[in-house]
Amino acid sequence: MPLIDGPAGALHVVDVGPGGPGTPLVMLHGLLLGNVASWYFTAAPTLARSRPVRLYDLRGHGRSARPASGYDPDTMADDLDAVVADLPGPIDLVGHSYGARVALAWAARNPGRVRRIVLVEIPGRTGANAEISAFFEAGPEAMVAALPEGLRAAVANGRRQARRLLTNLAGLATQTTLLADLGSGGDVPDAVVSACTHPVLVVVGASSACADDGRALASRLADARVEVLPGGHYLHLDATAALTETIGAFLDG
Amino acid sequence: MSESTLHAITGMIGEVLGDEMVDEPITMETSFADDLEIESIELVQLAELVEARWGEKVDFNAWIAGQSIDDVISLTVGDLVTFVDSCL
Repeated sequence: MPLIDGPAGALHVVDVGPGGPGTPLVMLHGLLLGNVASWYFTAAPTLARSRPVRLYDLRGHGRSARPASGYDPDTMADDLDAVVADLPGPIDLVGHSYGARVALAWAARNPGRVRRIVLVEIPGRTGANAEISAFFEAGPEAMVAALPEGLRAAVANGRRQARRLLTNLAGLATQTTLLADLGSGGDVPDAVVSACTHPVLVVVGASSACADDGRALASRLADARVEVLPGGHYLHLDATAALTETIGAFLDG
Repeated sequence: MSESTLHAITGMIGEVLGDEMVDEPITMETSFADDLEIESIELVQLAELVEARWGEKVDFNAWIAGQSIDDVISLTVGDLVTFVDSCL
């Protein structure tokens, strides 16, 4: 699917085939290193065998436009309005990292349009800041070490992929309010938590710095349970098969 | 292998890479990762072009399901051409 008009510029939307009769599923990626490829090459193809699956690039990421501002979860949820406009009935949502925050913010505003929610490695009171600042304030070696394996190799070899990644990161850091928005953001607001009475699965990585944030959020939600999988923050890469199976079982159960 | 499929996919790669298209000719042995240094999101774009051209006959998602991102990106153009030909 092509680019669609969002409230702050074009949004790149990808429908993953073959689809099926199940509840439509929209999957959101995480900030900075994420884009539609995060789910396209991991959980999406398997999940798309039994339901329609839609992915999109968050604003400032992938092939979507990079507006100068509006990188808090609530404003980013405005984009999701445009992405799901043509999907009938209730939908399921899966979000990784900050994408999980966006999914939850949208579900709180549209409770009747959501059936189930999966929050993978959702950052809470400290997670978003800790992750971002640790990444940017670390020395170059630690920055590279924090990258998923494939990207690490590309950076180490000075490849085109690495140059493009760093160009995109620099653009986000210097030409948008993303870092400031993250810095001023706190934990998931109580109003969002109380509006999300849907069945929620919180998936955390056993060795991730976000794991405690996920557990704490789950204890505040009305109907949430926690699943721990072996791996770190990039669970879709560290535990692709287990995460795919866990998401599918929760959505189909 | 089909020359016309290779020709079509070469055109799609040019569309994806734009002015960063490599100078060397694209062959069956050209590697997405090592020769084209393609990004994973550019592979998604290539998949969209493949689907736009050949439609549902070419089930790219079924093909990549079960392969890791590193497996997919280490494919050659020939792997993709062979897969597309097997669907047509």
